[in-house]
Amino acid sequence: MIVEVNKLSYFVPNKEILRQISFSLKAGGFYIVVGSNGSGKTTLLKCLSGSLNTETKCIKINNEYINTYSPKRLAKQISIVPQNTEILFDFSALQIVMMGRMPYQRLLQTDSALDYDIVRNSMLRTNTWHLRNRSIKQLSGGELQRTIIARALAQQTPIMLLDEPISNLDIRHQFEIMELLKRINQENQTTIFIILHDLNLALKYADEVLVIDNGELIHKGKAIDILTKENIENIFGVNANIIDNSFIHLNKK
Amino acid sequence: MNKYKHYYYYLLLFIIALGLVFLGLVLGSVDIDIISYLKGEADQTTVYIINNIRLPRVLMSVLAGAGLAVCGAAYQAIFRNPLSDPYILGVSSGASLGASLAIVFGLEGLFFGISGFAFAFALFTVWFIVKISSIGNRLHNTTLLLSGISINFLMASIISLLMVMNKESMDKIIFWTMGSMSSAKFSDLGIVLFFVLLGIVVIRIFAKELNILLTGSETARSLGVDVEKTKKIILFFSTLMIAVIVSYCGVIGFIGLIVPHIIRLLVGSDNRKIIPYSIFGGIIFTLIADILARTLISPSELPIGSITSIVGAPFFIFLLYNAKKKLNP
Repeated sequence: MIVEVNKLSYFVPNKEILRQISFSLKAGGFYIVVGSNGSGKTTLLKCLSGSLNTETKCIKINNEYINTYSPKRLAKQISIVPQNTEILFDFSALQIVMMGRMPYQRLLQTDSALDYDIVRNSMLRTNTWHLRNRSIKQLSGGELQRTIIARALAQQTPIMLLDEPISNLDIRHQFEIMELLKRINQENQTTIFIILHDLNLALKYADEVLVIDNGELIHKGKAIDILTKENIENIFGVNANIIDNSFIHLNKK
Repeated sequence: MNKYKHYYYYLLLFIIALGLVFLGLVLGSVDIDIISYLKGEADQTTVYIINNIRLPRVLMSVLAGAGLAVCGAAYQAIFRNPLSDPYILGVSSGASLGASLAIVFGLEGLFFGISGFAFAFALFTVWFIVKISSIGNRLHNTTLLLSGISINFLMASIISLLMVMNKESMDKIIFWTMGSMSSAKFSDLGIVLFFVLLGIVVIRIFAKELNILLTGSETARSLGVDVEKTKKIILFFSTLMIAVIVSYCGVIGFIGLIVPHIIRLLVGSDNRKIIPYSIFGGIIFTLIADILARTLISPSELPIGSITSIVGAPFFIFLLYNAKKKLNP
């Protein structure tokens, strides 16, 4: 088990965002998290990434409690692709991807030939190498997201967390990103953990689906067993017709 | 791209700066024959003017310009706000209040004089602002900037009150707060050099971290940067540097804001490039401003802060206008 979560709760004043969540992730798995807006998915992801402080002994990454990791060591275990990447300042795509090598560099250390090779390889795999000298501000949504995934790849982590990475993309680019992630998952044995809204994509790509509702983990298992007509109606309040076990047709209740 | 290209530019900028240093020695209310000075043949008055008046103020301009510009670049990165300048955390208003109190109550003889009071008040103000903006152990950017602005206003009103109640000190306070290199002395240069070098070296060490901070603090953390620690180290050393500069030179506005911006337009956002270029940019800008300040209405002198602001304010408005255009095209 590469990630173990044990009775994780998260509070903000007067509100419990996550309640007693427990689950574990197998190394090399492809996990998709679904749930309605405000259910606590993003909070869960931020707890797993260490950007929110949690109680000690709730989360184990590679058999060590997350609180015992320094930022640098944690960045060698977990890479993150956020939902929106807004970069106000002018960096080239190459500079952005090179930032993924930061956990491996000491203060004042310059980018080595090895770093450069890894960055080049990551950018070739995400089809962004031709964009390397372009400003990050000039990239389209799909190009930007592939560049950010390249940065996560350059981090060479066993775990990659993604928060709705395809929400702002059209359907062709959504598939392109999902196929890319599946390839990364299969070729590198990277454990992938994605928050997603599209249930059809969840059904198509996930090894396992996790359903978060109202701060609680209510289902975890194979997509086809979890994304049933009844469950979808209960969680999202919409009618669902599941056609040939592979397509979910939704309409308003 | 040619790796050594930048070194040629650094050399070119160094030569320009050196030229301005010589110009700064030559120009002023008294004409100086720099050639005979260099040959060691100049008369006593010339030697005195250069050694005790012009050389210290030119060197002080060099140190102040470099420090202000690098600090501006660092603040713009840690606050992710292109409009940040070295005074945003209240260093300037704190120092001005300290100096005004010293002037009004005639405390110039005590405790390192006006500079000492300015320094102490500057540090106290920043400490206070950082204290009220820390939530838990984290520094909250928006709160930091907003409390900085409020404290700046508060201090400015107290200074106005002091001036109204002590009209005889008004000129002196106004001149001090608008900045001037005229009181620079050789004996002060050592301490300013020390803090400016320290500040610049520390900021340069964290240049790569500053780049990553520009992409957002959460992303920075996920890339292995200890965000809070980096911010605190940068804030500590740059505040010391700026407090020392302000205590000796008064408030010289806009250098810290516009120099890093011009550099960023020319070489991109990589702080490993921005810092060395800002050093030269800051030096050149300040030397020109100081030369203008003491030659435009020679033999009397303008505050250097007014010269930098006359150039700086229109540029600031241009930046704001452009930022707005980007939001609502």
